[in-house]
Amino acid sequence: MTDSGLPTSEHLEHLDPDTIADLIENLLPAPEAHRAREHVKACPDCQQTFDALLQLSADLADEGRTDIPMPTDVAEHLDAVIVSESMLRSSTIGVHSLAQIREEPRRHLPKLLGAAAAVVVVAAIGVGVVFATKDNAPGGTADTNPTTVVPTGAPTLSTSDVGPDAQRWLENSGGTLLNGSADELACAKNFASGRPNPQLRLVQPAKVDDQRATVIGLQGASTQDIQVFVVTGCSESGGVADPFYDTTVTLRNR
Amino acid sequence: MTPEISRIGPPEPVGQPAAPAGPVSYDQLDDHELLRLHVAGNPDAFGYLVRRHRDRMWAVAIRTLGEPEEAADALQEAFISAFRRADSFRGDAKVTTWLHRIVVNACLDRIRRRQVRAADPLPEDEDRATELAGPAEDDPAEVRERRLDVLNALKQINSDQRSALVLVDMEGYSIEEAAAILGCAPGTVKSRCARGRARLLPLLRHWQTTRAGAEAPDVPAKTAAEAVGTE
Ligand SMILES: [Zn+2]
Repeated sequence: MTDSGLPTSEHLEHLDPDTIADLIENLLPAPEAHRAREHVKACPDCQQTFDALLQLSADLADEGRTDIPMPTDVAEHLDAVIVSESMLRSSTIGVHSLAQIREEPRRHLPKLLGAAAAVVVVAAIGVGVVFATKDNAPGGTADTNPTTVVPTGAPTLSTSDVGPDAQRWLENSGGTLLNGSADELACAKNFASGRPNPQLRLVQPAKVDDQRATVIGLQGASTQDIQVFVVTGCSESGGVADPFYDTTVTLRNR
Repeated sequence: MTPEISRIGPPEPVGQPAAPAGPVSYDQLDDHELLRLHVAGNPDAFGYLVRRHRDRMWAVAIRTLGEPEEAADALQEAFISAFRRADSFRGDAKVTTWLHRIVVNACLDRIRRRQVRAADPLPEDEDRATELAGPAEDDPAEVRERRLDVLNALKQINSDQRSALVLVDMEGYSIEEAAAILGCAPGTVKSRCARGRARLLPLLRHWQTTRAGAEAPDVPAKTAAEAVGTE
């Protein structure tokens, strides 16, 4: 209809930005799209709006790639939330009543911080109980506590226990168990990275044959095969792993 | 996931400036390792993970929701949810993509709840608006200014258009992905994006001409108006 050029009347009627934006997204019915495209081609103003809309998307994409620093108070608040969530999780093992606190809806900061503070106290008591149990079992291993499916702290064992214990720990923890301080974990990771099979499946501080050691498990040929090493050195900050025993275990399918 | 998604999230930290061979820390563990640690019961790993990506997640939340209180609440819900569902994370995906999606969903949940409550009242607050751009010392003035312009403009369009635009234009989701996230038809996403852009255009025209530099000083709006008036 307007193929042969734009009549003056139509030239006067600019396209509104909505129509141009719809044109860009292919949302207009065919005849209207055709008319709009012809108009944009012939009209510098509408062409300019057309270009500006495309540029806007590009600019929004640029802006979208930039991060926005989280305000300090929000960051601190969220840190506190995560710490309290962590404490709730670690304390649910021994203190059943915490399950109720855990399920409590938390929508407001004051309430939440109150709950977090309460949890700190309960968690501290829970930890005390665990320590007391350990102290009362001299030379005890994780085995002496029947409710402990995975070890806490550094269990005492001999090298002959390493294979069976490592297998049991891994089977009880779903196939991966990474315990220990950040330093110890990083040391284990460094050790793993120097091996042909660097995937860490087990890190467990332990006292093996009377020396403080770290039991490290690396994935073998399959996910069920674990190569287990006992190393010294990882318990010291910045230490380097020095293996003195190794064995291989095969996890049973669960 | 489309390739564009892979840009989400800041680059992995490249080690610590001090003591490269000395004591190592969580910073040297990658996202997958931190998440595995968390699932295995490590109490600190998740906090490190969140700290590593919080500025990215804050950007998503504040752009989608406009209000810092809302954004903080949404992130709190998102992080708690991610904390608890970490064992459902599929190891072959990027951790940031997973976390990002949880944050987006938490933001959209809040918008839906807000829409049920009232008709989107967005009060102006100059002090807080400035605060939104982040701590002054962190970024150059023009970056902060552009950020504020976009945030303020986004706040002036309706929340449906805003979420579609943030997802598609700013976060790089495809139309189909955005439709799945928003729970509507792809055509609806396109339409919301188109209308949102048309509304944002006059609000950000100043921003665009500033960015274009000296080549076209202040021409567009005036000539358009003159053309309509004179002919
Ligand atoms: Zn025109």
